[in-house]
Amino acid sequence: MNAAALLRAERVAVRYGRVDALHPLSFAAAPGSLTLVLGPNGAGKTTLVKALAGAAVLRSGRVFLGDEDISWVPAHRRVARGIALVPEGRGRLPGLSVFDNLVLGWHAAGRGRRGERADALDEVLALFPVLKERLDQDCSTLSGGEMQMLAIARALLAKPQVLLLDEPSLGLAPLAVARVYEALAILIANGLSMVLVEQKAVPLRGARETTIVLQNGRAVFQEERRPTVEELASLYLGERAA
Amino acid sequence: MSPRTRARIEFWVLALMLACVILAPFVGSRLVVYDLTVTALYAMVVVSLNIVLGLAGQVSFAQTTFMAIGGYGSALLTTALGLDPWAALALSALLALAAALVIGVPLLRLRGHYLAMATFALALGTNSFVTAATPLTNGSIGISSVPPLQIGDFAFDDARSFYVLSWVACIGSMGIFALLAHSHIGRAWRALATGQEIAQSLGIDVTAYKVLAFAIGAAIASVAGSLYVEFTSFVGPDLYDIGIVLNVLLMLFIGGRGSHAGPVLGAAILTFAPQFLAGLEQYQNLVFFGFLLLLILTWPSGLFGRVRDSGPIELMLPIWLRRRRSAESP
Repeated sequence: MNAAALLRAERVAVRYGRVDALHPLSFAAAPGSLTLVLGPNGAGKTTLVKALAGAAVLRSGRVFLGDEDISWVPAHRRVARGIALVPEGRGRLPGLSVFDNLVLGWHAAGRGRRGERADALDEVLALFPVLKERLDQDCSTLSGGEMQMLAIARALLAKPQVLLLDEPSLGLAPLAVARVYEALAILIANGLSMVLVEQKAVPLRGARETTIVLQNGRAVFQEERRPTVEELASLYLGERAA
Repeated sequence: MSPRTRARIEFWVLALMLACVILAPFVGSRLVVYDLTVTALYAMVVVSLNIVLGLAGQVSFAQTTFMAIGGYGSALLTTALGLDPWAALALSALLALAAALVIGVPLLRLRGHYLAMATFALALGTNSFVTAATPLTNGSIGISSVPPLQIGDFAFDDARSFYVLSWVACIGSMGIFALLAHSHIGRAWRALATGQEIAQSLGIDVTAYKVLAFAIGAAIASVAGSLYVEFTSFVGPDLYDIGIVLNVLLMLFIGGRGSHAGPVLGAAILTFAPQFLAGLEQYQNLVFFGFLLLLILTWPSGLFGRVRDSGPIELMLPIWLRRRRSAESP
């Protein structure tokens, strides 16, 4: 396995009650790489990112960040170590302003790494200028696309080494999806490692990338290339379609 | 209504209430002064619940438990051990804080209804315990002639001086609430109130923050409990009856969870309602609960609730009669 891997999962498995949500899965994400996790509903994609973020308890296997075994580091401590999760459904926090949301993200980076608040905020607001006009607004008044951008900005303020995104395009208008992917492309170009969960193939490309296709909690495809449309169809629909 | 308008209205209501509180001893009857003292002390308990429920989003019926620790702490430490009433008040608050930490760690792993039920059990248990533990608490007879609080030679043993003391304490607790609400801790609490998983993904130690809210709330409720006992110089199990918990919750829900002005307003409404409705005799409760039902139907998040939802009543109206709201964009 890649010795220079930034985030490494070793035979990671998760079980909910008596259901195996994720069968042992291994992968390594190099610094500045894109790991695309595809699969239909209920395939275990969210479970995989939750296991990486610490929000799901591992049944077996280990997770490494750099050389460090973080399998038993609780979710809230993994953030300061550099694993930030943008949860499914965009993590709307009604009652909190856009500014409050961003400050929460900035705090999450931990005292040593977060730097000056104004500088950190300026940096992410340069990436998502829409948010600058909405700083005082309650985040529940944002549109879906704006909220997704806020969720990403919030996660970025935590100064992650690896950004985990759980279906950022879910329920967004095509134009909003395009905007979100534009921003993600810039982040990848700047060398951020990303684990991206989606249901459909995405236009996003990384210099180094791996695609994992999950089906019923198992990796049915894991290669450093994208599956073709025909492959994807047969992987999603099972053997009969092949 | 924009958040800014709402904040402005809240500010003026607070200012108006402060003016009433300052003027009342000069113009009000003794009964009004008495009721306002009770309002101040209950408002403190409501503020303590507002930290736990309004900010951190954890339903707790346990505020009377901590009031009882304060009340019985003050009574026992002064009468049995001869401690200074101030020292007894402070020691009881520390005890309540410690109790909240010990109880909170296992209890606050529960969520929603389960947490509500566990704290409800705690409230029921508190009342039974102080009734049953006769050697310590003197059972249902209670402990009387609790010595008054003193500064030098000045004793807070008449209605006027206690009025001032209780309002100073109440405004102090509101100040603590405001400081917490606008700090990073308040932000983290409001985040975890909406979603524990989102809070976790923002590096917030969910259990630690919940326990912190519970503990701060416990200390404030304990001080209110101590002051109440100092006010009446008596403590008994009836002060911690389950009905009191429900009243405190009602005060918060009427006033508005998470707001600054809500707790005092809610406490005032519930304390003064029986007097305003006294003329109605046996229909008193009927009218009061009718009013309550109407309030919940029109203002589900309370008079000063942060989130202004459409109440069910509003949803029954034809669309052109409903309050104009900024439509949520897709």
